[in-house]
Amino acid sequence: MFIHLENICFTYSLGMPFETEVLKNINLEIDEGEFIGLIGNTGCGKTTLIQHFNGLLAPTSGKIYVEGVDLNKKGANLKLVRQKIGLVFQYPENQLFEETIYQEVAFGPRKLGLPEGKIEKRVKEALKMVDLDYNLYVERSPFSLSGGEMRRVALASILSIRPKMLILDEPTANLDPQGRDNILSEIKKIHYNFGMTVVLVSHNMEEVAETVKRLLVMHRGEIIIDGTPQEIFEKHANDLVKVGLGLPQVTECMHKLKAKGKDVYTGVLTVDDAEREVLKKMKKPIKR
Amino acid sequence: MRILRNISFGQYIPRDSLIHNLDPRIKILSCLAIIVSLFLITKFSGYLILGSFVLISIIISKVHPKFVFRGLRPLLFIIIFTLIIHLFMTEGEVIYQLGFLKITREGLVKGLLISFRLFILILTTSLLTLATSPISLTDGIERLLSVFKFIGMPAHEIAMMMTIALRFIPTLLEETEKIMKAQISRGADFESGNIFNRAKNLIPILIPLFVNAFRRADELAIAMEAKCYRGGEGRTHYRELKIKKTDILTFALTIVTTVTVSVMF
Ligand SMILES: Nc1ncnc2c1ncn2[C@@H]1O[C@H](COP(=O)(O)OP(=O)(O)OP(=O)(O)O)[C@@H](O)[C@H]1O
Ligand SMILES: [Mg+2]
Repeated sequence: MFIHLENICFTYSLGMPFETEVLKNINLEIDEGEFIGLIGNTGCGKTTLIQHFNGLLAPTSGKIYVEGVDLNKKGANLKLVRQKIGLVFQYPENQLFEETIYQEVAFGPRKLGLPEGKIEKRVKEALKMVDLDYNLYVERSPFSLSGGEMRRVALASILSIRPKMLILDEPTANLDPQGRDNILSEIKKIHYNFGMTVVLVSHNMEEVAETVKRLLVMHRGEIIIDGTPQEIFEKHANDLVKVGLGLPQVTECMHKLKAKGKDVYTGVLTVDDAEREVLKKMKKPIKR
Repeated sequence: MRILRNISFGQYIPRDSLIHNLDPRIKILSCLAIIVSLFLITKFSGYLILGSFVLISIIISKVHPKFVFRGLRPLLFIIIFTLIIHLFMTEGEVIYQLGFLKITREGLVKGLLISFRLFILILTTSLLTLATSPISLTDGIERLLSVFKFIGMPAHEIAMMMTIALRFIPTLLEETEKIMKAQISRGADFESGNIFNRAKNLIPILIPLFVNAFRRADELAIAMEAKCYRGGEGRTHYRELKIKKTDILTFALTIVTTVTVSVMF
């Protein structure tokens, strides 16, 4: 078990006039090698939750273990935890500050005290992981890039720390469809090619559904559903609609077919799956 | 990081009370009157009367005293520091001696007087900001400053700058916290090292903060221009300030109290 959360509760501005309880009794286990989507409406506490994973926020009550180490015990090495768990914030392009992209990506490894040779290797490796050409980009200023490119540099600056686990807070927010697809396919690659544990935070059901292997649905500070996307779309479609998250359009289409009396499997995620399923259930298969 | 959240300065707490509903100009002028008399008083009894006046105002304002007194916390150090300096540094009749340090009666009196002065000063100004929304506060300042228009004081522009500055304080604090967390996640360390290293470690916070602030200022300027903002000349107000009977009565009461206290004590 990589991360283990036990009865986590969290309240912002405890004891102040505007105190708000944001997390309510969260229990969660994440294993190494998982690919998890965390989805929920605006303000349900996703960002707050993931900031507990690497000790940026400490729970009001409850316990967090990372590889068996209690994060809130005195003397816990949070630096080491933050090295293991790379957290990419929302709009990470707003945190760039160095003169060149090389320096930007080298920031993390340099803070680890690595020798220059190793740093260069890591920068090359990280830029490659996000599909930026090393020679074309290293000397450019991060502020001269497009929004999508800046975001990839920001992602690379976390990858260069070589975390075991990568958490991304709404990595596709504010990107055009192409930038969105690029980032998502890079994240998939990082998971499948490099075996990294990934948590992808989002409020877009379509993009999460076809990307992740396990889905956590949050609502008002609680994790209300936990399972594979197929399971959830098949069995918990009503709950999803009730909390206002909705289903991917293809899935909704299959549910409507089912409601009309067609016996189709409703746990489909992509148009291709849906097509196969519908063709299978047709009495007279169409010749293609 | 916790420090950033605990700054209660300028935090408005909406309530429906006599103090909240006063004209902001009256509130500002009353505060000024109290502050001036604070510096004229030389006796404890004067501070006692003025202090009770402010305490009664706090009760009338329905703002929980906890929040008013919270304004003291960041400045408590300064108050204690001045008290200690006065205790030990004033010449006079020695009432307690500890090695070469001596406390004198005059020092005790002077130190306490100055502490009371600072104490009441902070309470008064925090009550003003807690019980007056930033908008009406700047409205009040604008109207008061426009008295000096004949000497070329750009009252509206000053008030507009203050409004914008006040509006963006919480945003900047929030953003600082977010950037700090993000850089910590990237391996930055703000808690160890000597003072030079610590200063250098602030660069990853300051640069993004400034870049974002400039961009935001730019966007705000464009948005204002798009809405045809053109400065103060001939601009009307959505909320016209009007002096009511309670305003006059309150102001009269404050002036009578402060003048009496300043003259008699
Ligand atoms: N620093 C803070 N201080 C006080 N309250 C906060 C703070 N940050 C967030 N909140 C509140 O906590 C709640 C959860 O916020 P959070 O940012 O975790 O939501 P989220 O699920 O990430 O939303 P989004 O999808 O909009 O990013 C919100 O109601 C928000 O107003
Ligand atoms: Mg969020």
